Amino acid sequence: MSCIVRIPSPLRSYTAGAAAVPAEGATVEEVLASLEHRFSGIRFRMVDEQSRVRPHIRLYVNTAEVTVLSQTVGTGDVVHVICALSGG
Amino acid sequence: MTLSASELSRYHRHLALPELGRAGQERLKRARVVVIGAGGLGSPAALYLAAAGVGTLGLVDCDRVELSNLQRQVLFDAAAVGRLKTEAARERLLALNPEISVLAHTLTLCADNVLEVLSGYDLVLDGTDRVSTRYVVNDACVLLRKPLVSAAIHRFEGHAMTYLPGRGPCYRCLFPAAEEGAAANCAQAGVLGVLPGVLGAIQATEAVKVLTGIGEPIVGRLLTYDALDLRFLELPVTRRADCAVCGERPTITAPRDAGEVCDMDALRRVRRLSAAALNELLAAQAGAAGVALIDVREPHEFNTRHLPAARNIPLADLAGRLSELSAGCTPVFVCRSGRRSLEACALALRSGIEAPAHLEGGLLAWAEQVDPAFPVAAG
Repeated sequence: MSCIVRIPSPLRSYTAGAAAVPAEGATVEEVLASLEHRFSGIRFRMVDEQSRVRPHIRLYVNTAEVTVLSQTVGTGDVVHVICALSGG
Repeated sequence: MTLSASELSRYHRHLALPELGRAGQERLKRARVVVIGAGGLGSPAALYLAAAGVGTLGLVDCDRVELSNLQRQVLFDAAAVGRLKTEAARERLLALNPEISVLAHTLTLCADNVLEVLSGYDLVLDGTDRVSTRYVVNDACVLLRKPLVSAAIHRFEGHAMTYLPGRGPCYRCLFPAAEEGAAANCAQAGVLGVLPGVLGAIQATEAVKVLTGIGEPIVGRLLTYDALDLRFLELPVTRRADCAVCGERPTITAPRDAGEVCDMDALRRVRRLSAAALNELLAAQAGAAGVALIDVREPHEFNTRHLPAARNIPLADLAGRLSELSAGCTPVFVCRSGRRSLEACALALRSGIEAPAHLEGGLLAWAEQVDPAFPVAAG
């Protein structure tokens, strides 16, 4: 399965500035692993060592919030990574 | 509260809207709105709320106007540089609309004063640039049952969401906590000047809607905006039953200050090493003095097992022991998961160490990728 992951502004230093990157995987966990393979360190900025989504991050598959990383991802889906912003 | 002849003229285009009309305009005149932060977001929001005829506007800010503010903070002009933002903003807003009241709160909002300041208003508009203040303001709004229109920006991206007491999720439901150094603070990261104009105008729109009871506010919907792609997105947010402040068993029953968080821009200067990269670096540097490997875990964790080249300086002691690091030596911080080592990097950066590095994912990643026999305690 291939999908698009939309990267929030604070994590684009990992993706050479790219706002959207293609990734592979049938679940969110696999998509994150695919991302990590290309952009070392990015997964740990989104989930902790217990594979829980960090409290300042939200993940969505299309518009469905990801509550477990086993959530399925289909071909053509968009995985949105939302990161808390603090600028005013 | 009736409208004067000049107000009937000034607000004619509002009065021409049947949805808003005279009753809505009178509601705006009676309303008291406080804007937290007279910055990029607060500037357009306050200008539009003043123009719209919100009867009492409060402004909270403790800073003075700087030249670099003028790229986006449209409340101020060149003559205001050096002045207190609250005073310069008050003059500007009263010049725009002398029929309203503008109250200046020249202070840093914190747990000690937030209830007192916010309790005098009907609606709160958050445009602060500090993570800790976002939580203090959110918690106070939940405790005081005040509507909160929240927005935040970073570089080319913005978020907005409205909280209405009893009707939807609060900011803590959206992001339960901001970890140290985790949320993006854009003080130095750069921001497109017009970006807060878009988000601040959305906040003002939400405030007018909530105050007059028209339309459907972005309650339970996070609005995201990407200026580069000119893309708006709406994502559902549900109330968390376990939310620390608005949940079923709240643990926050009074505002409290969080610890300082380090800023994201500084963390961008941190060199992030994968376990494999650190392994190669250590092999290449064996016997050389170019890298100082510092394990910032507690001594009992360090003593269980540590990397051979590492020395132990627990994070809590690091500030007082940074001088032990040799000049010209690049510190590489390690810990169990990578969190404490990132904090160590932030501390090193604040202390003037140019390019600290850390082991991304910590010794857990080391055990996973380099040495499966390396024992790391479970979290």
